[in-house]
Amino acid sequence: MLSGNKNTMGGNHPTKKTPLILAFVPIVVLAGMIIFLLSPYGQSLINTGIPLPQVTIEKVEFHENQILAFIRNTGPLEIVVSQADVNDRIQSAAIEPDSTIPRLGDAKVMIPFPWIPGTPYEIGITTSDGTRFSKSVEAAALAPSPDANQALLFTSLGVYVGVIPVMIGLMWYPYIRRISIGKYSFFLSLTAGLLVFLGIDALLEVNEIVNQNLAAVFNGQALSVVVTISSFIVLLYTSERLTQRAIEKAVLNKNHSLASTSSIEELGKSEKSSTERQEGEIYNKSAKVSSSTQEVQIQLQRYQQLLKPLTISMMIAIGIGLHNFGEGLAIGAAMLLGEVALSTFLIVGFTLHNTTEGLAIVAPIAKSERSRRMMIRRLVTMGLIAGVPTIAGTWIGGFLYSPMAAVIFLSVGAGAIFQVVYSLISWISHHQKSGPSSSLSGHVIAGFITGLLIMYLTGLLV
Amino acid sequence: MILIGSSIIVVGVVSGVYKNFTLNSSSDNNRAISRANSSDSTIGGHVPGYPIGETSGTIIDPIDQVIDKDSVVDPEKYLREFNYGRVSMLPNGSTLREFTLVASDQLVKEVSPGVSYNVWTFNGTVPGPTIRATEGDVVRINFVNNGSMPHSLHTHGIHPAEMDGVFEMISPGGRFTYEFVAEPFGVFPYHCHMTPLEEHLAHGLYGVYIVDPKTPRSPADEMVMVMNGYDTDFDTENNFYTVNGIPYYYMHHPIQIEKDKPVRIYLVNMLEFDPLNNFHLHANMFNYYPSGTSLQPDELTDIVSLNQAERGIMEFKYKYPGKYMFHAHKTEFAEKGWMGTFFVNDKNTTRNSIQADNSSFYDTLNNSFDTNTPETSGARM
Repeated sequence: MLSGNKNTMGGNHPTKKTPLILAFVPIVVLAGMIIFLLSPYGQSLINTGIPLPQVTIEKVEFHENQILAFIRNTGPLEIVVSQADVNDRIQSAAIEPDSTIPRLGDAKVMIPFPWIPGTPYEIGITTSDGTRFSKSVEAAALAPSPDANQALLFTSLGVYVGVIPVMIGLMWYPYIRRISIGKYSFFLSLTAGLLVFLGIDALLEVNEIVNQNLAAVFNGQALSVVVTISSFIVLLYTSERLTQRAIEKAVLNKNHSLASTSSIEELGKSEKSSTERQEGEIYNKSAKVSSSTQEVQIQLQRYQQLLKPLTISMMIAIGIGLHNFGEGLAIGAAMLLGEVALSTFLIVGFTLHNTTEGLAIVAPIAKSERSRRMMIRRLVTMGLIAGVPTIAGTWIGGFLYSPMAAVIFLSVGAGAIFQVVYSLISWISHHQKSGPSSSLSGHVIAGFITGLLIMYLTGLLV
Repeated sequence: MILIGSSIIVVGVVSGVYKNFTLNSSSDNNRAISRANSSDSTIGGHVPGYPIGETSGTIIDPIDQVIDKDSVVDPEKYLREFNYGRVSMLPNGSTLREFTLVASDQLVKEVSPGVSYNVWTFNGTVPGPTIRATEGDVVRINFVNNGSMPHSLHTHGIHPAEMDGVFEMISPGGRFTYEFVAEPFGVFPYHCHMTPLEEHLAHGLYGVYIVDPKTPRSPADEMVMVMNGYDTDFDTENNFYTVNGIPYYYMHHPIQIEKDKPVRIYLVNMLEFDPLNNFHLHANMFNYYPSGTSLQPDELTDIVSLNQAERGIMEFKYKYPGKYMFHAHKTEFAEKGWMGTFFVNDKNTTRNSIQADNSSFYDTLNNSFDTNTPETSGARM
């Protein structure tokens, strides 16, 4: 009887081991269910209809006297590739590693072909059941080979479209520092507008890549949403942690210097013989402590005023850096896939477009009290954080393009940008509250719309 | 740093998963294909002036590969195979020629190296067997529907309405005997007339019916050529174009002919979907007899264009030895399989060595034919 009681007690009151075992029960049942469904019994129950093969041509590259098509089996069945064609004309070809491709497996189709630069081509492959899958290329262009020359070209391209424009944009710092609060809100919200546009632009770009290059089976749009939201939340959390930690550290340092002079030392002394002291003295002590907390609170607010804009700027720089990485990927990939002719016009367009990114970094910190020398150093660092990833992006995009990676990076960038927009908006409303007007002033609205328009119009040039 | 680090981890994990999908089992595929010419690692090389590639993977090359088994037809055998039927004499003194044609719609055969297609066939092949009679003979065709849907036999030529195979369909498992007098002399197609007609024709239910004039034509190296196509992905556009059933077949197996010896080709266009097809002969001219219904050639030319079911007889001989091409001058068709070659042998020199390579190929093909009993019973006519 007693032992039985104990057992029921154990069942009702969780011990350390039982809940974990209970958690596995549904998993075991689920596994059984899956095994049943995969067994001949299950198969005969659910296998209705005819599964069709599906092949995605993810990428087509043009090399000297040869066309390479990178294909993936995105259907429900193993497939065998039986032939390849160019413009629907059968060609001698080879497939590596093998003509049999398992589900979700990939292969490289090599077609010796005297292609002509600048000409559109349609590359097709036919599976063993006679189904043809194809992909069109707007204009054939020699795929960049990963050599020093090409790397140099990509680097200079990255510098032109990524680093230099951001640096130019930073030169608005002295101007924005001197303007009135109203105009300042205008520029802050303009920055928010710019960034919202960049974020949406990135998601549209993702959508395009998903539709054109990524196999439907990977559900690119959903992946993009997952990555964007995750990136937003993770960055929001990190940026707040960073601000908090910086403030705590700063306050601690200040407190330490205070303590060395008077109050804390006294507190230490009082503690030594605390048991023998009278209650009155304890009261005294607590009063001292409360006064110091008040001081700390004031300090904290002052530091928040100082550090918050700096963090926002840094987060903007990082967000734009991620975005520019994605942009670099797109530029490199476009060159690899022969979708873009590299023209001066294009570079001018990107330069104009990206200069505004520099402005975005500058705006939040322009009003904070810092020595100019220190500020210039910080600005340059942030400019590099925002701009240099473009170079890395062009390398990766141009040499090892993968639509999946592009989708992920662009989505991380979008999440980062939306996080920055969130911080900016809360910063603007905070800023506005200290002033006379409400948080939605005419300056803010005008700034936001101007920001969107600037991005749209300069984007037309790209 | 944490931000960048975490985003890299996210990307790393996702791309890691992505990579795992790509893990490739290099399983051996059982494709019944062998190469006719080049070595195992070179891509191409049989098209003059064309780039050649190297690979460690699998060659996929319908232009140069041979189907070892499950071929929809043996174009080599089909080329010169004329079926005269089981011959007997009728009380009125005329000749009776009896044939058996078995319609089927269940076979899956290779129509190009590595590409399988559900063909609908007469006697198991596309095109069906060539039926041949002399003008005035009585032709009796025992038609058996071995398929899963109604079929019929419709022959071109002159015959009574009830022998036309249009208004009376033969149900699955049913039989019907078509009987008529062979007239006039010429070359005709025969095909199923079940609706949807396009479907029944595109899948392969057709063949050639030749009626010889009472006074035979002059002796020649005779062959039959059917121009057709396969729409393997059902988009009402042909994926393959062929002469005698297999794309590019006579490219790697040139048709052997003799220098100065007359060649006669019974040419029939059974192409679906594309309104026009044509035949162009290289380095030569031929006499053309439209529908083969006249003994006087219509023109001397090197190209003839044919609409659906249009046909004729070509006569020519080669003046010089060597290898000559023939193909559709609609280059799209040519580059999707409708091309071939003649190898003109000089009696004094040895034959082209290529022919010797093919003995094993014939053996396997013949074996596979023997296993399909309902079809082969009809094939021996």
